[in-house]
Amino acid sequence: MITRIVLPGILMLALLTACAPSAPPAPAPAASTGADLSGIKTYLLQKTAALNTSAAELQTASAHYYDLAEAASFDYERLSQSPAEIAQVLAGAKEAWMAASPLYEQMEGIVAGVPDLSSYDVILDAGASGAEDPENAAPFDLTLPDGRVLQRPGNVFGVLESALWGTFADYKAADADLNGNGAVDFGETLPDANVLKAAADALVNYSGELAGAAQAWQPTEAEAFTALVVMIPTMNEYFNSWRASRFISGEAATQRDFVAISRLADILDILSSLQVVYTGVKPLAVRVDSDQAAQIDQGLASLKAFVADIHTEETNGKRFSAEEADIMGAEAQNRATALAGQIAQVAAQLHIEIEG
Amino acid sequence: MRHKLNVQLAIGLILCLLLANVFPAFAASVTPFDSAEEIRTALVEAQLKLATDPSVALALASEAEASYTATLAPGIGAAAPEAHGRALSAFVRLGESARTADAVAFAAARGQAWTAILAGSEQVVEAALHNNDTATARTWLPLREYRTATRYSRARADATLAVDQFAAGQMAADDAVLTVRADLFGTYQARLDEALRDLVKADQNSFAVRRAELAALAAGYFEILAPAYAEQRGTDALATASDAFSGLGSAALGSDGMAATLDTVNGVLDGFRAAPLSPAEQARRAGQLMRFIGLISVEYGRGVSDGKVIHDFEIQEAVTFHEAAYAAFADLRDQLPSGVVAQSTAVFDHIGAQLAAASPSVAADPSDIKDATKDLASMLQDSMPAEWLAGSAQGDFDVIASMLDQVESAVRGGDYAMAESARLEAYAIMETGPEARLIVLAPQMAPEIENLFWNNQGTYKGLAYLIANQATLSEVQASRAQLDGLLAEAEELVGRESSPVAVATNAGVIVFREGMEAVIILAALMSSMRRSEEQRYRKPMWAGTALALVATIGIWLLAHEVLQSLARYGERLEAVVSLIAVAVLLVIMNWFLHKIYWTSWIASFHSRKRRLISGEAGLILGLVALGFASVFREGFEVVLFLQALVLESGTAVVLAGTAVGLLLVVLLGVLTFKLQVRLPYKTMLVVTGVLIGLVLLQITGKTVYTMQVVGWMPIHPIHQITIPYWWGTWFGIYPTWEGLALQFAAAGFVIGSYFLAERKQKGKRHRTAPSASGAA
Repeated sequence: MITRIVLPGILMLALLTACAPSAPPAPAPAASTGADLSGIKTYLLQKTAALNTSAAELQTASAHYYDLAEAASFDYERLSQSPAEIAQVLAGAKEAWMAASPLYEQMEGIVAGVPDLSSYDVILDAGASGAEDPENAAPFDLTLPDGRVLQRPGNVFGVLESALWGTFADYKAADADLNGNGAVDFGETLPDANVLKAAADALVNYSGELAGAAQAWQPTEAEAFTALVVMIPTMNEYFNSWRASRFISGEAATQRDFVAISRLADILDILSSLQVVYTGVKPLAVRVDSDQAAQIDQGLASLKAFVADIHTEETNGKRFSAEEADIMGAEAQNRATALAGQIAQVAAQLHIEIEG
Repeated sequence: MRHKLNVQLAIGLILCLLLANVFPAFAASVTPFDSAEEIRTALVEAQLKLATDPSVALALASEAEASYTATLAPGIGAAAPEAHGRALSAFVRLGESARTADAVAFAAARGQAWTAILAGSEQVVEAALHNNDTATARTWLPLREYRTATRYSRARADATLAVDQFAAGQMAADDAVLTVRADLFGTYQARLDEALRDLVKADQNSFAVRRAELAALAAGYFEILAPAYAEQRGTDALATASDAFSGLGSAALGSDGMAATLDTVNGVLDGFRAAPLSPAEQARRAGQLMRFIGLISVEYGRGVSDGKVIHDFEIQEAVTFHEAAYAAFADLRDQLPSGVVAQSTAVFDHIGAQLAAASPSVAADPSDIKDATKDLASMLQDSMPAEWLAGSAQGDFDVIASMLDQVESAVRGGDYAMAESARLEAYAIMETGPEARLIVLAPQMAPEIENLFWNNQGTYKGLAYLIANQATLSEVQASRAQLDGLLAEAEELVGRESSPVAVATNAGVIVFREGMEAVIILAALMSSMRRSEEQRYRKPMWAGTALALVATIGIWLLAHEVLQSLARYGERLEAVVSLIAVAVLLVIMNWFLHKIYWTSWIASFHSRKRRLISGEAGLILGLVALGFASVFREGFEVVLFLQALVLESGTAVVLAGTAVGLLLVVLLGVLTFKLQVRLPYKTMLVVTGVLIGLVLLQITGKTVYTMQVVGWMPIHPIHQITIPYWWGTWFGIYPTWEGLALQFAAAGFVIGSYFLAERKQKGKRHRTAPSASGAA
């Protein structure tokens, strides 16, 4: 009796069990090679803390300017009638921006190269505006104190730069002879106080978020190699923006960004951060091929020296032609590509997968 | 500053040369890569110095030549005499142009010298591998270029790893040479393309020096690739191509525009692929090609209505697929008949023009695009070797990756509608392609992948959930990275074997597994209808089953592209059908318990017919629906999977496997029914009741799971317990609160129904017993 009851059930269960295929063994995890990457995180945290400080200074200066504009009922004609005070406030804001921007560049090699952090690079420094490039736009809208919303205005540093130096008409309230020399020189502009305040607030906000994300981040070997392989070869992009900037094209330049600090300085800062990253993984590279590890080290230093020489000449007053900039950009790119290629070989030999 | 640098560099070079002569051991430590870098950077410095200080430029050029002669010439001269000749002639020209301060000629010679060194290095490595000289191969291989990396593409390490494997005795010399050549030729072709693109910009900007350098680089890269060109297209074609590059070099040294000569060069390069594609890579490209062609019309159809573009992003996607399809076609065209190539190119151009012309005011009829892509696919498929179509799974993974790139790109731009569309497309390709093999080879991975595509609630949220909640790019990228890891594992598993026997086995297992699910449900439901008065209730269920089989066959007969469209909605369709099944099953369950007891024990005391006929029409319809839902929910899934296998190995192979699977299902089905018939009626009732209850639990669990996958129901995972994946596959048990709670509720319903029926029956017995005894 019991057999009769149970038999069909057992039969069916047996069928079901027999049909369920067994799981294949999981692939063995890659052996940890155990590099000490703590120096990368320490460096990053130092930079994020410093950026927060500079961003707060910029926020204070921008809020001061906003208060002055509000007191003048946003009548910028009236505001420009007290140029000394305005000039002082705006000079403070520009100074804070000039301090904050390089601080970010000094960590950009890590932030932009690590997938978990890279969204902050788009927001803070790399994202285009929605009007310029919808696919690569920085993914945030800027709500101004007066209630207006700037849809996808572009990266935060870019908005601030174009507002402070007046390179984008939408963010500029008026031109003003702030230094009283009888002419309106480049950068003598009254920013739209609403835009400046909102963007400065956004800088504080996103810098704080980045600091939090950096704190939570635990660098891995794969991330470190990825940052190097992804970020080193971007030289040409930087040289192209340098070529299109006022530093090469002078008054003919139409580019909104990179007017206050030469792009060459940014490249040097980025390479500094990548040198920190490479220092972290160099012991791994030495294990694979000590000659190549040394070549990579030397290559990074050489690339940085190449750019530093050009920057020094520029700082000393030399104006390069667009074609010279193109030749130098190509050379920098060749060196960078060779470096990234070598690092990719090392990563492959270590069985470290490049992410992204 | 620069003068100081040049002097330092010059001193450095001279010291190197002296040391190389005096201390051979030191010379050995200066690698070919080091020497080449010194030469290249010295020549760039010389180029920049030429306008202001030609004498320094001349000194640097001379030192570079000396360095070449001392360190690289011996190796290159022996293994690659032609490249060596080009290098020597380049150094002569460098000296001449430095002396005359001719920056343009200097740039052209610089490009020639550098590419001659690259060509020489490549041949030194090949010769070393042939001679079993690992040390030389390793020493010279780093003297190479890499593809210019972007944020989305990386330098490859195939050659490095091949030399390592060769050194370790794990790869034969010929294979290592082929791998090295494929990597380096692929790289130099990419650099050639890049040089030509940059040349266009330099020409537009009237950068004379850059024009000359880039034209020389392009010609030099082509020299490296020339053997492959001659092998594929013949020596006459090579001569024509070489003339085109000579013309390019001459034009670059002149002052006229270069558009015409660039066109000529691009013409001779059209469709040329220097790096030999392995058979696996050809099949992969073919898979991509067919997928992308199919997607063009799907996206276009969604973006156009009444002759106007209504969703711009769909048209953008169609354009992207068109470009991707053409890129795959270009990689394969040299292996296709010339007539097919010409016709296909014309169709590609026609479609491209229609896509470009589509606008919010006017757009070509989607049926035109559909017909064109259908013709194109058919023409190409007919001309492709069978083995190209056999390995399409890897091509599918490539297409999925490109769709996921689009998801990221759309999220980056804040266009979540476009992101969702691309996500659905990627999932549809997964479901109609690789998943068929995956559920056989690694069934535990399929739901993991599925959940990450949809509404996973673990550490990494599903993409559908993230897109619906407009998550940040970094969140999407994190889940994408997780999904990529699983897809890479799946690709590795799926790509291992695809012999006809394996594919037929896959088909058989799928049919058997899904078929048995349906059989168990039908057997459980019908076994209770055994008595003659009950057997008529089997008919509607068989009718529903038959309808489901017809519908399944109908779906099978639909064209693949229609199936592709339906696949986007596959999970939702399954959820709807499963919901119907649950609802009907609950009704039937209730009916079953009451009817069994009424008809078994008290039928003789009541007007059976009157009671049974009440609600008879609804009951019949319910039984038809139950039969249909029980079979169709399995049938649809089977067809999706089998179509994927058909693409891989053809209809005959799949049908063979299907036939075996079906035969087994029928045999075991008959056996199951027979066994149940042999059981005593009361025992059968108990077994059937238990089985129907289990079926209800299974369907409930799976329905909840499917609804959670598509986001129609929240997910609260139970982290404290681990349930083997096959519990989900077979019993619908998944570790979520919602799933288990509803299964408990269903169980409660069944048990409650049983006790209710029991109570009613007892009540009836109790009431009828005295009257019966009284009558007696």
